[in-house]
Amino acid sequence: MVRLKKSLTALSALALTTAVLSACGGKNENGASPADAATPADSSSAAASPSPSAKPVEFSFYFTGSQNVKDLWDTLIPMFEKQNDKVKVKEVYIPSGAGAEPTYDRILAAKKAGKGSGDIDLYEDGINVVSQGTKDDVWAALDTTGIPNLANIDPKTMTDVSNMAVPYRSSAVVLAYDSAKVATPPKTLSELLDWIKNNPGKFAYNDPSTGGSGSSFVTTVLYDGLPEDDIHNSDPAVMAKWDAGFNKLKDLGKYVYGKGIYPKKNQGTLDLLANGEVEIIPAWSDMVLQQLGEKLLPDTVKMQQITPGFNGGPTYLMVNKLSDKKDAINQFLNFVLSPEAQEVIVTKMNGFPGIQLSNMSQAMQDKFKGVSEGFRTFNIGDLGTEINKRWQSDVAAQ
Amino acid sequence: MRKEVKQAIAGLIMVSPSFVLLLVIVVIPIVQSFVSSLANDAGGYDLSRYQFLFTDKGMRTNIFFTLKITLISCALVLLVSYSLALYMRFSSGKLVDWIRKTYMIPLFIPGVIATYGLMNLLGNHGWLARLLLPLGIELPRLIFDEKGIVIANIWFNIPFATMLLSSALTSIPASIIESARDTGAGKLRIFLRFIFPLSYKTFLVALTFVFMGVIGSFTAPFLLGPNAPQMLGVSMQQVFGVFQEREQAAAMAFFTFLLCSVLGYFYIRSMAAEEAANR
Repeated sequence: MVRLKKSLTALSALALTTAVLSACGGKNENGASPADAATPADSSSAAASPSPSAKPVEFSFYFTGSQNVKDLWDTLIPMFEKQNDKVKVKEVYIPSGAGAEPTYDRILAAKKAGKGSGDIDLYEDGINVVSQGTKDDVWAALDTTGIPNLANIDPKTMTDVSNMAVPYRSSAVVLAYDSAKVATPPKTLSELLDWIKNNPGKFAYNDPSTGGSGSSFVTTVLYDGLPEDDIHNSDPAVMAKWDAGFNKLKDLGKYVYGKGIYPKKNQGTLDLLANGEVEIIPAWSDMVLQQLGEKLLPDTVKMQQITPGFNGGPTYLMVNKLSDKKDAINQFLNFVLSPEAQEVIVTKMNGFPGIQLSNMSQAMQDKFKGVSEGFRTFNIGDLGTEINKRWQSDVAAQ
Repeated sequence: MRKEVKQAIAGLIMVSPSFVLLLVIVVIPIVQSFVSSLANDAGGYDLSRYQFLFTDKGMRTNIFFTLKITLISCALVLLVSYSLALYMRFSSGKLVDWIRKTYMIPLFIPGVIATYGLMNLLGNHGWLARLLLPLGIELPRLIFDEKGIVIANIWFNIPFATMLLSSALTSIPASIIESARDTGAGKLRIFLRFIFPLSYKTFLVALTFVFMGVIGSFTAPFLLGPNAPQMLGVSMQQVFGVFQEREQAAAMAFFTFLLCSVLGYFYIRSMAAEEAANR
């Protein structure tokens, strides 16, 4: 009986590997090595497939964000499950602002209580949670053996997160401006600061603790003139260098919208741009593109990246170290990083692909020529929280 | 004797569900957050988190701001609700019918939706501003300002307070007022000597509810309020969720609880006095 069980497990494991390999073989047209690997596995699949025990493995995938993120996964997961009938993905969507932090807390609490993965196998979040989790040792390190398509990602981004997370899509903060009112948008940070002072009340950025676009503006101002290395440095010693930037922000207070009103959330400033109260805002490129598409923003709204670039950055997928379904998850991650899935991400989310553009179709490469460049990835870890704290006491409550 | 014991046991059983519920969702969390609020950065236990509440300039202004908004909102809500309730009790006609039918509507509109509605109505380029523009009236800043929070609080709290107060006023027998009037008491005298004392307890209940609702409110102050000072609810969320200082947030929560319990004390005391009088 025990032996039978064992052989069944072995069979289903075999079936799983086959599914992984054949899946990448089918999709990866230009990646030669996975296709080669699939050939020997295919012959064994004949032996594995009649096994009745190949019960699909189901893992839970927690993600958060706005409705567009949910729409994205609602499209991608059925695509994946169609190709891999041995794996089921249970999606758990937590609307933005409705307790995404507790998801991470749950992972950590389950680990501390010795309860394994706490039924959260895969989790999606930003760089803060990635580094927090790396510190708490809850993420599994990823490599190309499990996920061949990891090779498609820029190796530098992977080093930035010590291979603990998959950057599967990214977007950048840009200046969104109303071209009917602003003929020549600022192209550098100093031009932007001058513009704000010359056009009082016509610029707004959101409270940095409530959304990435405001936070990016604040960080860009703070790190202006600092050595380039500092934006990849989470050493608290850097905090001493912020003074000049905070003074600039304080001074800017009387020139921004409402003489010091910082709306809440990324959408807060977009609303002000939409009803014409302000003319330039920092905003996420994907939100602008989407709302232009839905006619929520006037057609005259255009985007411009400045130098030094605003913060842009990937959204990451992290695998819970204690999950016992890693094979299935790897299979899924490999799918997400395939050019096919990445095309869906680009069209659905208006974001930049997570893999290097050279792996995408020519049409996609043309679409992003010059647009997906110019932004910088800040990786300052916990210092982001310190910035928010100090912004609240120095700039908001000045 | 036996019968009494039986009755006592039955009574305990009947009370226990609500007691357990209270214990699990109110008492234990309060004790827990009190304990965690005492933890300091060094890992020991002291009152440093509370000290921070009163010594940090931003925090102190937040506390005063919260109290100010709460008191103004309570005063305005009770003033409007009490007048509405009095009007509905002692007048009749089409207008009263309409008020009676419509004053509950805000209760059925979800908070976030109402808040966004208020933003659209009162914003800088909102409907109200557009309507008043031809008349040459320029509105002061209402949204992203404390006035916005007060307006939202009024909107959210009037229906419930009015409902409570008007049921109290309805229960005052008309005969009392008529006999007082017969003996020559004036309107003000009737109000001060009869109506207000007879509805005082409900007034206190309404005050308690409004106070607690406003002091712990989040959605409206978050979306409508200024960036600084913040109401305690907004600040608590920021300290907890963004700054990730759980112990500090626990201290703020416990402090808010203390503020509420001051009012709760008066409420319970008046209830106990009533009970003693009825015995």
